[in-house]
Amino acid sequence: MTLGRDEYRTVIVGAGVVGLYTAYHLARAGGGPILVVDRGFLSSGSSGRNGGGIRQQWETRSTIRLARESVAAYRRFGREFGYNVWFRQGGYLFLAETVSELERLRKVHDIVRSEGLASRMLAAEEVGRFVDGIAPGAAAGGSYLATDGTLYPFPAIWGLYETVRSLGVEVALGVELLAVPARDGHVDRVSTTKGTVATPTVVNAAGGWSAEVSRRAGLASPNVATRHEILATESLKPFLDPMVVRPSDGLYFSQTMRGELVGGITVPHPTGTAQGVPSSPRFLTSMARALVTLLPRLKSVGVLRAWTGFYDDTPDGFPVLGEEPQRKGFVQANGFGGHGFMLAPAASRRVAASVLGEPVDLDPREFAPGRFDGASGPRTVEGLQLG
Amino acid sequence: METRSGRRFRFRRSVRTAGEGRTILEALVGDRLPAFARSVKYHRPRAPFCGVGSCTGCLVRVNGQPSVRACQRTVAEGDRVATENSWPGPGLDLLGVLDVAFPRGVDTLHGFRRPTFAAPLYHRLIRRLAGFGKVPDVPAPADAARAPQVHEARLAVVGAGAAGRAAAARAVALGVRPVVLERDRRPVLVDGAQTLARTTGVVLASPPPGTAEPFTLLGVADGNVGVAVRASSVVVATGGYDGALLFEGSDRPGIVTADLVLGLGRAAVPLPFRSAVVVGVGDRAREVLEALGSRAKAVVGFGEIPPDLTRRASELAVPLYPRSLVVRAVGRRRVRSLELRRRGGGPSFVVPCDAVVLAHRRLPGTQLLFQAGAAKVWSPERETYYPEVGADGATSVRGLFAAGTVAGYGGAAAPSSGIRAVEAALGVPPSSPGPAGPSPAPSGDRFVGYVQELLDLPRRGKWVLCPCEDVLLEEVENAVRRGYRGIEVVKRYTGLGTGLCQGRYCVPEAVSVLAVLEGCPPEEVGSLTPRPPAFPAPLAALAGLHDALGGEKAE
Repeated sequence: MTLGRDEYRTVIVGAGVVGLYTAYHLARAGGGPILVVDRGFLSSGSSGRNGGGIRQQWETRSTIRLARESVAAYRRFGREFGYNVWFRQGGYLFLAETVSELERLRKVHDIVRSEGLASRMLAAEEVGRFVDGIAPGAAAGGSYLATDGTLYPFPAIWGLYETVRSLGVEVALGVELLAVPARDGHVDRVSTTKGTVATPTVVNAAGGWSAEVSRRAGLASPNVATRHEILATESLKPFLDPMVVRPSDGLYFSQTMRGELVGGITVPHPTGTAQGVPSSPRFLTSMARALVTLLPRLKSVGVLRAWTGFYDDTPDGFPVLGEEPQRKGFVQANGFGGHGFMLAPAASRRVAASVLGEPVDLDPREFAPGRFDGASGPRTVEGLQLG
Repeated sequence: METRSGRRFRFRRSVRTAGEGRTILEALVGDRLPAFARSVKYHRPRAPFCGVGSCTGCLVRVNGQPSVRACQRTVAEGDRVATENSWPGPGLDLLGVLDVAFPRGVDTLHGFRRPTFAAPLYHRLIRRLAGFGKVPDVPAPADAARAPQVHEARLAVVGAGAAGRAAAARAVALGVRPVVLERDRRPVLVDGAQTLARTTGVVLASPPPGTAEPFTLLGVADGNVGVAVRASSVVVATGGYDGALLFEGSDRPGIVTADLVLGLGRAAVPLPFRSAVVVGVGDRAREVLEALGSRAKAVVGFGEIPPDLTRRASELAVPLYPRSLVVRAVGRRRVRSLELRRRGGGPSFVVPCDAVVLAHRRLPGTQLLFQAGAAKVWSPERETYYPEVGADGATSVRGLFAAGTVAGYGGAAAPSSGIRAVEAALGVPPSSPGPAGPSPAPSGDRFVGYVQELLDLPRRGKWVLCPCEDVLLEEVENAVRRGYRGIEVVKRYTGLGTGLCQGRYCVPEAVSVLAVLEGCPPEEVGSLTPRPPAFPAPLAALAGLHDALGGEKAE
């Protein structure tokens, strides 16, 4: 197999939800020819390993707006891309164990409401209405937004993959990017395991591998890949509507359309993208303990499988979107910190606009690649990263 | 022997009696296999298939707790056993109409997208239909007498079959007391070893490379108690299991593995069949033939049938069908006959039967090894993956050894492979030359070309490739047609291999199917990384191990 052309207008690295959505927006705007390369198979990265949660409850207005736009995109996904992602708006329930955690949720709630979303604060006794069988005293209260929800990540990838291909985008799987040689500070070409092609633009949508891709382009990256784990239980009849999250220990779980409980929890997460470290006893036992303590009725429910994936973390919890100041034509679309699926539709649209040289409605202090260079005053932080 | 006075338990609305130590399945086998449930998507009838606690054929609800395997659970006095996912019952289930109404299956990838405003309705409906057991209203009663146990050992052995026992005995002789995990209820004990019976090894975590940390092995005892073993070396001797076979109606009640038949035989339970067809021509088929006795009605081979089996079959007056394809099982709630077809486009014919026993393919139980990171190698003779091992069973993971069937040393070679593995694990010189090469695969059971011919056949009903999740052969074909390649992607596209058996039964076949559809050798289709746990592990058992393993201290 060789690549289809010698020259592309844009090469996107990563065929996950961010890379494919970016390809989609670019192709629709007539930005071809476009090549997407991915070192693995389709859905082998974090786009095929996440819990499918889509929420709009965040600490910062900019993230809330991206999330709200993404929710609208997933609602119309089936019509737009031909695949049913089963985006079920069963709500997101944030649990607080203590009064001070409840205060933090109230602050989030105030911001979310001021953005026009109908978030609600729940008293301790109201939580049980959403989580049937919750242990008495397990929650001091919570916040809830009914239009948040969960989806199946896989069909989103199939729909995007087939749609971009029908729009003429070339998707080369099993092809690894090796280097991004530049000329006069501008991206000149891309060399891969299947040969070298000329291109003025490279989009780095490599998720957990984004820092490595930046390095191969000769750029420093503030992003750090951390290894997170997740598990699924046997399938049960529906008993839980919302995604339940607990910021204090990073616990999150929901019940999928198939009936499995899927979720994770924060344990010390090793950094780096080294392979060969399977799910840890530490994670399995911590997650199991958190679940049965919160919901004792789950005690006999069997864990079916556990797997791992990478979060692409940034120092401030915001993704990195836009062109590198040091390298014209090198556009970052990464650093989603495990929340790429949630924000991909809206974030990718802005990445595409940036590639096309159109105006982008993002605050550069929050999203621009160069924001970590040089010391500056206090910065905004999006702290509601979970898992 | 069954006694009149046994443990009383309730199955649905009737009171039954079980002999001491009997499983729910053994207690309920009468003149036929009991029907326990309906399948998850099309509500097709399900009855016990594997007999070794892997498939979804015998899931029942016991004392309000869902998805208990009837073949693994010993009856306790007063147990309330109910059926799941069927109404009014597994025999006649109203939602069985789904199977008839959708002969080509339901496409949940593309269907139910319009109108958009109906999405919440679709979600409610499909969610209600999906899912298997009901979540318990009350937690499972805590077993106060059985706190989670943590064992520290120089050596752990998983599996107390011929290879595992030989390994444990050799360790004892060398002055090391091994911890042996065995799933079986009545294992043969090894003097001087600590054998944990009724304990399933579910997670094997290798130490980070380059460290001197031990392996951590998590297990589940008696279905609900957590067990952890920390050991510097592990010998995995988890044996093998009988593989499935794809044909139309291959998920029908009455189609069972040799494991199930031989297991019932060992437990002295009368076999619930009158006329059984045996598929396979190797040693395993021979064993099944003896176990079935006068119940055997035919022997089917994909290729030629070897002379010794031919001789024995003619002594028993059992007709032989060499060079045959298994095409179709007829019968809805129970198999009534099996349609065969001579290879190479020959005529088809029907053999009346009430059971089909699959003994054509013995697969290695490699889940723990591969999950722990052992490198795998494709075996062209056996058409499956084995761990990469030397004569001493050493895998690519330092300190991790494979012995017996799981290393390719089945039958007579098993004990010596266990001994060699332990000697290597404990760093003593080998006391014998070790096993002579992996045992050869019987040629008559080879899959080469079989699947190609199978896929060319005309189809009428559903070909269920993955019975746990009701994934049809057609869905795999559609995925390949749309350009999705390799077992990893096709798994994610169709959901095959993501059910309760974790792909033990469907994935080996899916690999052969994909090799044909993609026109490549099977090893290029790729393989799946087994996800822990190797068998479903109750949350409470894992949770109990959190503190026992020092989770609190470390945080």
